[in-house]
Amino acid sequence: MTAAQERLVSFESAGELLHGVIHEPLEETQQALVFCHPFAEEKKCAHRSMVEAARACAAAGWAVLRFDNRGCGDSPGCFEQYDLNDWRLDIESALECAARETSSAVGLLGLRLGATLAAEVAEDRPDVACLVLWEPIVDGERYIKQNLRRSIIKAMMTSHEGGGSGTTAAHTAGASGEGTVDFDGYSVGEAMREQLAEVNLLEPPPVYPRPVLVVALGAGEAMGEQLQRLADAYTMGTARAVRQEPIWQRIGVMDATPVISATVEWLRQQ
Amino acid sequence: MSDQQLKQQIKEMIVERLFLDADPQQMADDENLMENYEIDSVNLFEIVVGLEEQFDISFEDEDFSVDLFATVNSLAEYVETKRS
Repeated sequence: MTAAQERLVSFESAGELLHGVIHEPLEETQQALVFCHPFAEEKKCAHRSMVEAARACAAAGWAVLRFDNRGCGDSPGCFEQYDLNDWRLDIESALECAARETSSAVGLLGLRLGATLAAEVAEDRPDVACLVLWEPIVDGERYIKQNLRRSIIKAMMTSHEGGGSGTTAAHTAGASGEGTVDFDGYSVGEAMREQLAEVNLLEPPPVYPRPVLVVALGAGEAMGEQLQRLADAYTMGTARAVRQEPIWQRIGVMDATPVISATVEWLRQQ
Repeated sequence: MSDQQLKQQIKEMIVERLFLDADPQQMADDENLMENYEIDSVNLFEIVVGLEEQFDISFEDEDFSVDLFATVNSLAEYVETKRS
């Protein structure tokens, strides 16, 4: 049973109307979070887990605003129209909406690229109450390379199932042309690709002064070097490795209980 | 590291990263991974990342082929080649 209520909300960002859902505890709260969704196909895969996380946070006494960036989900526009600067602005607009709607101090929780954008926004917004970063993209170049890998592997598997040799997988996956990268069916143009390539959460080192939880999700108990370095770089950073299947990689029902429980436990301590 | 140790490490990595309900000790070196463990493209990506991290190697785009990922034997052979 969810001890919370949910209502639709709309708010402006750069003159366009974004749509989201506010999850509110039944009892009055002074704490809220804005959820920042991941990028492209990862958003779709993680949707259910993000909803479950929002409900769990609300049950623990935190109001949550989930919303879709411009060009994504229920919000207006086409994916290709917008870039990372637009989406950082959307997060700022969502912060203001959440503060207005819940009268609370508002933190940010993000997954993958959503976590990265949350961390970048917080660098200029010390009023952000706290940060929860689930598997943030620390190195944009590496992220692009990994997505290209995924495309190559998919092309290889498709070629194999269709009776092809599989040897042209790399060429097929990279053949989007005009500097465009295929992110699991989402066309990422050259400008966006350049913005992604510039992402580096460790350089310059973060200066956000409030509590930060950096969560690594994976098979092992180790944080991974990059995420540990990121957690260590924050003055109030906490690192937490959670044994959890990657909730952003696969469409379908995934049990996100481990990462949700770890997050709620940390939130209760704030 | 001996050939058998390498293969055992690969099996353990696969079971751990793919959250498989399998005993690495019981995996045969030559069994078909994709058929026996229903490995899909998401799993293959995890295997690639696991091999790179654990054995400090780097896949090139042109290295990717279904044959490479067919068995523990073929993965071990690839790792050996990259490390030499």
